[in-house]
Amino acid sequence: MNPDQVATRPTPPRLSTPYQMGSSFRHLRWRLMVNGLKLLATGSRLRLAMILICSAIFWAGLFFLFFGGFQFLKSFIHSGEFVEFIFGMFFLSLLVMLIFSAGIILYTGLYQSREAAYLLTTPASPDQIFAYKFFEAIAYSSWAFLLLGSPMMVSFGIVEDATWSFYAIFPIFFLSFALIPGSLGAIAALLVAAFLPRRRKTVLVVGVGLLILILTAIGFRLWGTPGELLSAGWLDGLLGRLEFSRHPLWPSRWMSLGLVASARGDWSTGLFYLGIISAHAGVAYLLAAVVARDLYRIGYGRVQGGRSSRRRWGWYGLDTAFHRVFFFLPNEIRLLILKDLRTFRRDPAQWSQFLIFFGLLAFYFVNIRRLSYDVEKPYWRNLISFLNLSVTALILSTFTSRFIFPLLSLEGRNFWVLGLLPLKRESILWGKFAFSSGISLVATEILVVLSDLMLRMGPAMIFLHMGMVAILCFGLSGISVGLGAKMPNLKEDDPSKIAAGFGGTLNLLVSLVFIFAIVMALAVPCHLYFAGQDNPEATGVPLSAGQFQFWLTVAIGISLVVGLVGTILPLRIGIKAFQKMEF
Amino acid sequence: MIELRGVTKTYGSKRAVDHLDLSVRAGELYAFLGPNGAGKTTTIKMVCGLLRPDSGVVKVGGFLAASPEARQLIAYVPDQPYLYEKLTGREFLRFVVEMYGLDPKSSLRRIAELIETFEMGDYIDELSESYSHGMKQRVVFASALVHDPKVLIVDEPLVGLDPRSARIVKDLFVAQARSGVAVLMSTHLLSIAEELADTIGIVDHGRMLANGTLTELRERSQMHGPLEDLFLKLTGGDRPLVDGRLLVESRESDR
Repeated sequence: MNPDQVATRPTPPRLSTPYQMGSSFRHLRWRLMVNGLKLLATGSRLRLAMILICSAIFWAGLFFLFFGGFQFLKSFIHSGEFVEFIFGMFFLSLLVMLIFSAGIILYTGLYQSREAAYLLTTPASPDQIFAYKFFEAIAYSSWAFLLLGSPMMVSFGIVEDATWSFYAIFPIFFLSFALIPGSLGAIAALLVAAFLPRRRKTVLVVGVGLLILILTAIGFRLWGTPGELLSAGWLDGLLGRLEFSRHPLWPSRWMSLGLVASARGDWSTGLFYLGIISAHAGVAYLLAAVVARDLYRIGYGRVQGGRSSRRRWGWYGLDTAFHRVFFFLPNEIRLLILKDLRTFRRDPAQWSQFLIFFGLLAFYFVNIRRLSYDVEKPYWRNLISFLNLSVTALILSTFTSRFIFPLLSLEGRNFWVLGLLPLKRESILWGKFAFSSGISLVATEILVVLSDLMLRMGPAMIFLHMGMVAILCFGLSGISVGLGAKMPNLKEDDPSKIAAGFGGTLNLLVSLVFIFAIVMALAVPCHLYFAGQDNPEATGVPLSAGQFQFWLTVAIGISLVVGLVGTILPLRIGIKAFQKMEF
Repeated sequence: MIELRGVTKTYGSKRAVDHLDLSVRAGELYAFLGPNGAGKTTTIKMVCGLLRPDSGVVKVGGFLAASPEARQLIAYVPDQPYLYEKLTGREFLRFVVEMYGLDPKSSLRRIAELIETFEMGDYIDELSESYSHGMKQRVVFASALVHDPKVLIVDEPLVGLDPRSARIVKDLFVAQARSGVAVLMSTHLLSIAEELADTIGIVDHGRMLANGTLTELRERSQMHGPLEDLFLKLTGGDRPLVDGRLLVESRESDR
């Protein structure tokens, strides 16, 4: 029997029109936004105030930074071309970043969310579901672009004496531009799901690897620009090496020329480029919607079908070794650390980000001598060593905010498993703290020692930096574990959303303040001492050897106290909240 | 209304559904039984158009399962209900009404009826992020029925429901089937299959092991005891043993 003949064809049901469907999605998005805003307004005022104040400070900081920069360029360089280069590079970088971020967000939204599974069982067509998820992904991936880009445009407009119409039109430039990388990322996500459903991680790793290689190559080319910094020759050389960003087919080039022309009142050029960007954005979106119409359902089935491979996990030799090495820790804490360690090594999202960031830093530190930093004067070497240490700590703080802060929130959902074990609740927190400190110490101590050896720093400074890094590791771990327990988000099971929430943002801010306090306490006396070494005739501020010893001892004492408070206080707050918590 | 002919679906090297034939008529309540990993959810997802079969044909109401016409006829209630956390239950029901292009006036009446049927009046205007699992399940059932589907597909219908809600849902299945809706219900609870189903299908390793009314299954297997014994016999060979012995000896009174 022909399978197509198994049922007689009944009268087709009345289908919703595309207009009705579009209207229902618009209504859904509107209700979700209104309810979300109402919750924000009626919820914690402290939280709302924190969000507004932090955003305002961040915006104002960026505004003054850009304003100073544009004024400097106008006063000293007088080259309008240079601003076009800066905009070109800025938008080209954004283009690449937005392709990746929109692609990843859309892939998760279209293929891994329960909402997509629900919508696919409704009469909504694949391109309508795609459109709904696409604009959500664009909003998620582009909000930082608006936050970063708007102070830049406002300051540029003020420096260029732009009319009010420039401030009205630049958001339209931004929105049109965001659609181009968003659509390209979407097409990539749809093609990967349809044709490489089991190789999506490989595709991502290869893509990121290629990007890093290209960026490194560009970085080295720029670094080698001959001539004295900011001299006319140096600038010419630099612009020559950035010539690739001026290719007339880059959307970033259209943005750059269009925005500069609009700010300077050349509206025919400005609107011409806005038209080009909008037309390309429309075509790119249309192409993405057509690909979604034809491939979304096929890809969804293939992605779901590719998930069944069951893998056996093992590598228990490492666990035995861990028990032997850390025999002095209580057994239950060792078991908790091991559980987190297994999750860490089995989750490529965690160790790959860790590896990429710290790998890049290690690559830079290894090449310090190629950059001839080690033959600079002690003053410069000291400054560079503290800058290297600060960068290491800043990257560590993003790691603790992204991966350690959400640990307790994620644990809370399965707390009954731990809650039934013969464990004190505080042991769970101490376990997390030990896990975080251990991983952080291993990674950062190696990096800082490497940096100092490459800079030919003396043993005393190496020990000082090692001590500082240890304080930073304990402090950042204490802050993330403590605040993670104080402000858990038990409803969310996506760690990136927990980290991006209010608690995660506050955790990052507190971590930044802590790093600033520790680094400044020790960097200031060292800087003043080495400044005097380079310029023995200087009087007043630079420190003598005796004064340096005294102030360094005071600074070490202060940083130890700050470190201890920064570690213990959040942990105590966290333990107290965790013990009272009901699950 | 639901027709599967020679359907096969593989995940990598694993064959989840293996040349499966299944048919559910309008007005029939079909219980789809099988052990964990037997291929029930994969089958249901193919009927809903979420997965495509590698071979064979899946049709709903005469239309290919992934077509918009088939989806217009279907209502699917998964085991883990999905609701928008930042919508109230009523807003979600309205969204479904708009999605299916229904007449707004008559739909409002239908929504009010369903709120009463599922006793949701106390919480329907609160955001669904505050609902318990059972409350969410009731809203999802209401959303499934608001557009008067011709095919109702339910995966593990009674998970998380209290006895009263479970009774409402069971009565509703029977009422839907009596009104001409084809109901395909996947479950591990053999008692509901015994109590409600017109037809029972037992599947294991993706293959249909038995298909028919309870009486037909008993006659074919020459087993006249509870459905549990029949199910265990077909899917794994009697009751599970530990060290070659039954964990608990059956009492005569159980029989």
